[in-house]
Amino acid sequence: MDNQEIIYLDHAAATPMDGRVLSDMQPYFCDLFFNPSSPYAPAVGVRKSYEEARHRLASAIGAKPSEIILTAGATESINLAFTSVDHGHAVTSNIEHASVLECAKQHDHTLVSADKYGYISAQAIKQAIKPDTQLVSISLANNELGTIQPIREIAEIVKNERLRRLQNSVNTPIYFHCDASQGVGQIDVNVSRLGIDMLTLNAGKIYGPKHVGLLWVSSHVELRPLIVGGGQERNLRSGTENVSGVIGFAKALELVCDKRTFETKRLEGLRDYLQSKFVQAFPDMIVSGHPKYRLSGHLHVSFPGLDGERLVFLLENRGVLITTGSACAANKNTRSHVLTAIGLQDFEADGSIRITLGHLSNENNVKRAAEIIIEVVRQEYERVAR
Amino acid sequence: MTGKRVYVGMSGGVDSSVTAALLVERGYDVTGVYMKNWSRDLPGMKCPWAEDLADAKRVAVQLGIDFKVFDFENEYRHKVVDYMIDEYKKGRTPNPDVMCNQEVKFKLFLDAALEDGADMIATGHYARIITRDDLAYLQMALDANKDQTYFLYRVSGEALKRVLFPIGEYTKPQVRDMAKERNLFTASKKDSQGICFVGQIGIRDFLRQYVEEKAGNIIDKKSGKIIGVHEGAIFYTIGQRHGLNVGGGLPYYVIGKNMDLNEVYVTTDLNDGALWSNQIRLIDIHWINSHPKASQYKIRVRHRAPLIMASLDYSNDGLNLSLENSDRQVASGQSVVIYDGDICLGGGIVV
Repeated sequence: MDNQEIIYLDHAAATPMDGRVLSDMQPYFCDLFFNPSSPYAPAVGVRKSYEEARHRLASAIGAKPSEIILTAGATESINLAFTSVDHGHAVTSNIEHASVLECAKQHDHTLVSADKYGYISAQAIKQAIKPDTQLVSISLANNELGTIQPIREIAEIVKNERLRRLQNSVNTPIYFHCDASQGVGQIDVNVSRLGIDMLTLNAGKIYGPKHVGLLWVSSHVELRPLIVGGGQERNLRSGTENVSGVIGFAKALELVCDKRTFETKRLEGLRDYLQSKFVQAFPDMIVSGHPKYRLSGHLHVSFPGLDGERLVFLLENRGVLITTGSACAANKNTRSHVLTAIGLQDFEADGSIRITLGHLSNENNVKRAAEIIIEVVRQEYERVAR
Repeated sequence: MTGKRVYVGMSGGVDSSVTAALLVERGYDVTGVYMKNWSRDLPGMKCPWAEDLADAKRVAVQLGIDFKVFDFENEYRHKVVDYMIDEYKKGRTPNPDVMCNQEVKFKLFLDAALEDGADMIATGHYARIITRDDLAYLQMALDANKDQTYFLYRVSGEALKRVLFPIGEYTKPQVRDMAKERNLFTASKKDSQGICFVGQIGIRDFLRQYVEEKAGNIIDKKSGKIIGVHEGAIFYTIGQRHGLNVGGGLPYYVIGKNMDLNEVYVTTDLNDGALWSNQIRLIDIHWINSHPKASQYKIRVRHRAPLIMASLDYSNDGLNLSLENSDRQVASGQSVVIYDGDICLGGGIVV
């Protein structure tokens, strides 16, 4: 891969940090390194900046600062959200990220099936809710397919169930958690407009630092801490605050929200170009994900009979970085549960690749990537035919 | 041109990568196969199987060859790992690599490859095969420093007829150079160390996962005194110097153990008779081809140990070896391998 331009097409796995985020973080490593809980004035200054960052994060999603719990990433936020379930039941879908599925497994739970587009209907959620259901958790958009879920409709269902319980003097609480790690750069995540009770966000997916995230928790939700100690983050997440990370997170979120409309349009154009080129070259190719409700930078395609992992390795030699599915599934050499859930046959699922566009994508490199990918896929089809 | 179909065992290391590359260049119809034998993580060690598999596949993709995964995890567990643990429980010191070659690579893998349509298999072992009068002989590698015939002595001559060891004709530095010249992804990958599934953690920590620790006495053979406490006689091997929890003074060597009493016997006397012997009795004898006739051959008592002269006394159920000079006692369960010049004839297991 020497002397070769890298074309990065895996923005759903990780995003390069925005230079403006990095410069906002920089002072807090060596100069303003103070513990925000220390009593002297410079430390109090750091505390102030940290709390300002919390305010900025809150206002970007239309929430109160006191409702933001800062965490070490989306997985932690999701685990924390699931502490709202004590002895009850949880509802989620069969295409959720492993972090949600593993949390659900620790409780009595129902997995609602997505349709062939990876879309989860609000009605299916309604049917899965039981008298002791305490949590519904659905991601804003699926990480592999990019399908955007009807969060507002599901929120309505949960609200109605809460109301019904209230009218029947049942005091089992029910909450709706939404993991918006994927899609926050493209979809409005104003929490009151979404009508949800908890929201997970991740800085590493929006050109901010890795290992920083938040859980927004509506004030009526009761959680239990996963990490105990000094009582930071309203006693829900102890440990010295990640000051630079949170300040970077705030900047990153503001930047993606500012550019949301423009960037969504731009990526959609590039993605549609790629998709049409592929469809033209390979009429048998399968495009997965919802035709209408899909993240604009996502393109998931399957080449029946090919091996997606071979394509990844051939493309990395040509400087094009894509993946077979989510990075987590690829690491374990297992077939993606998402593709099986939407009904792809094994020989189709095995020939799948995911392309996710973002800030590093432009007309030039997407055009070049299309050429290289088509060439490599042709080459593999020829090899298999031999 | 379509040559013979060869299935190459690709581990994700540099040796098997070059093996596959050479065979492709020589016109064989090559398929890469990753044998999934073990995937369990151990405390303090993440099993690298997924990374190794990805590396092997990367090289296969680079070479433009088919790639498959053969899952032998259950068989490996039974034939290699359980065997090894059982032997240790009996107070012996087995060699799992020998067993892996005998049972997995040159039996299961060979059979599965032939079944799948292969004509031959190949691996990245440093060894050579000579065919004469329709018999396949196992010859030492050109690189005497890397020669791995010690681990291959229990493979059958019949199996070797269908095996290729292309890198046996090269030295390790040449193999590395060939990998670099071909820009193979694994060219600068570090060699794996020790028994594959035990890896860096060492046999002691591995065994701890399977056997219970039980305190026992360390006894000085000369004085008969208890000089320390150990956590299980199973963890000790005759001749071993390290790891005795007795502080200070001269180093102690293990010269015996009693598994029933869970006692380990030691000495500071390097000249102690129990540490040295000019007699070795082997059982479980395996000859790669026919039973040899001569009464004197060279033998090797461990991988990379010097070849030493021995007289062979063939008995019905075993083989008695007499060495010219006394040598360090070989632990029970270890393999002794017999050579005629640079041809590996076979060997047996120390009683």
